[in-house]
Amino acid sequence: MNWGDSSKGMCDDIEKMERDIIDRIQVCNGCRMCVAMCPTFEGWYTQSAYGRLLAVNLHFKYGLGSVEELSRFLFECATCRRCQERCRVLSRNVGPADIILKARRLLVKKSQAKDTKGS
Amino acid sequence: MKNTVKNIVPVGHIYIRGNVLKKGNIIGVEEEKAAWAKDLDLPRQGEYTFFAGCGYQFMKYAEGMTRAARTMQKVGIGMDKSISMNIHMSKVLGKVGIDLGTVTAKVSTAGKKDAYTTILTSAVSVLRKLGVDIGYLHQDEPCCGSPLYYAGFLDDYIENAQKNYELLKSLNIQKVIGLIPACTSSLRNLYPQYVEGFDLEVYQFSEVVAQELNKKKIKPKLREKLIVTYHDPCQLSRYLNVTKEPREILNNIDGLELREPGLEQRGQWSTCCGGGGLEAGSPELCERLGRRRAEELLATGANVIVSHCPACIMQLKNSVKRLKADVAVMDLVEILDKVLE
Repeated sequence: MNWGDSSKGMCDDIEKMERDIIDRIQVCNGCRMCVAMCPTFEGWYTQSAYGRLLAVNLHFKYGLGSVEELSRFLFECATCRRCQERCRVLSRNVGPADIILKARRLLVKKSQAKDTKGS
Repeated sequence: MKNTVKNIVPVGHIYIRGNVLKKGNIIGVEEEKAAWAKDLDLPRQGEYTFFAGCGYQFMKYAEGMTRAARTMQKVGIGMDKSISMNIHMSKVLGKVGIDLGTVTAKVSTAGKKDAYTTILTSAVSVLRKLGVDIGYLHQDEPCCGSPLYYAGFLDDYIENAQKNYELLKSLNIQKVIGLIPACTSSLRNLYPQYVEGFDLEVYQFSEVVAQELNKKKIKPKLREKLIVTYHDPCQLSRYLNVTKEPREILNNIDGLELREPGLEQRGQWSTCCGGGGLEAGSPELCERLGRRRAEELLATGANVIVSHCPACIMQLKNSVKRLKADVAVMDLVEILDKVLE
């Protein structure tokens, strides 16, 4: 499902990406339907779509947690989209897998911007 | 602390990115590209263009590499280090004048027919048996670049996509048959989003086959009775929404019994086996996922696990081997090639 993908073409605007992601996460009402559904879930919330979105929200909105930790949570996602299907059919169609991909993109984008600035 | 790309993206993904951008495939071996099609006399032009993709062609290298990474991890060297060591080694050897790519290529071309490239030849023979007119681009076939997309390198992905579209357009291609679900979903779902004026028609192999079987009313027969279960690859079932066609094909075969896992574990809800992108970042987690999925599939009591994706096939083969179960893992293509005359 495509929820108004604003990243058409090259996405240069980091702030806009960040705002898009945060706005979209607010749609989630935390039904946790995607938690036990996630194939990587082994007991921690951050091993599921819900926990990953929570971590993204806390990091980008409130600046909590380190980037390394967040990226570890995000890159442990198998991007199998099982959560997305569940959310679309039974909950609020947040599109968790798409948000996780977007957050990965944002992290890469931010670090690349830093890389070029530093050198 | 400084946040560079290396701190954020697992090294496996960075390594794959370098290969895709520099060598045009995921593993980084140039010599082997299109070697499987040498004896098939595939024309370059046809009604449909067959898109073989990297997966089946280079799976044997991926298999060796992940195995090496896993053993190194068990000895105590992390995935990150083992791959960077690999890169480092190839750099050092390059300075001395030895190219690691050609060395591995020479070692593995000794047995030219491996379990994965035969799937490609079977796919071509199935399409020929059904009378589908196909062409193949041989060495010119680009890499769709989907690993870049899933690792977060969107700019590189878009650049690659635009280049590929221009190439495909300049070769006068209209219809594409993709075999690997990830490549097909990349071409069908993502390219139109990022390439302006993208107008190629992209089909998945099983869609074309199901359509042809229906049209020609072919009812293939198996000599011995076979109990199979079908594992839906994520990219096929949830990205491309192809869940009906593979089942149609399997149910259409006489003498084949399809036993499915529970309602929550099949079709659009199928559990992920953990193969593919996850393997580049966290191989241990991926191993556990594979075991869970294999257990679900083995509970159906089938003799053969059928799937339709190179990453899933590799992952399930390894998991079944680890569980020491006496079950074969086959691709849908192999079964089709056996039953069609």
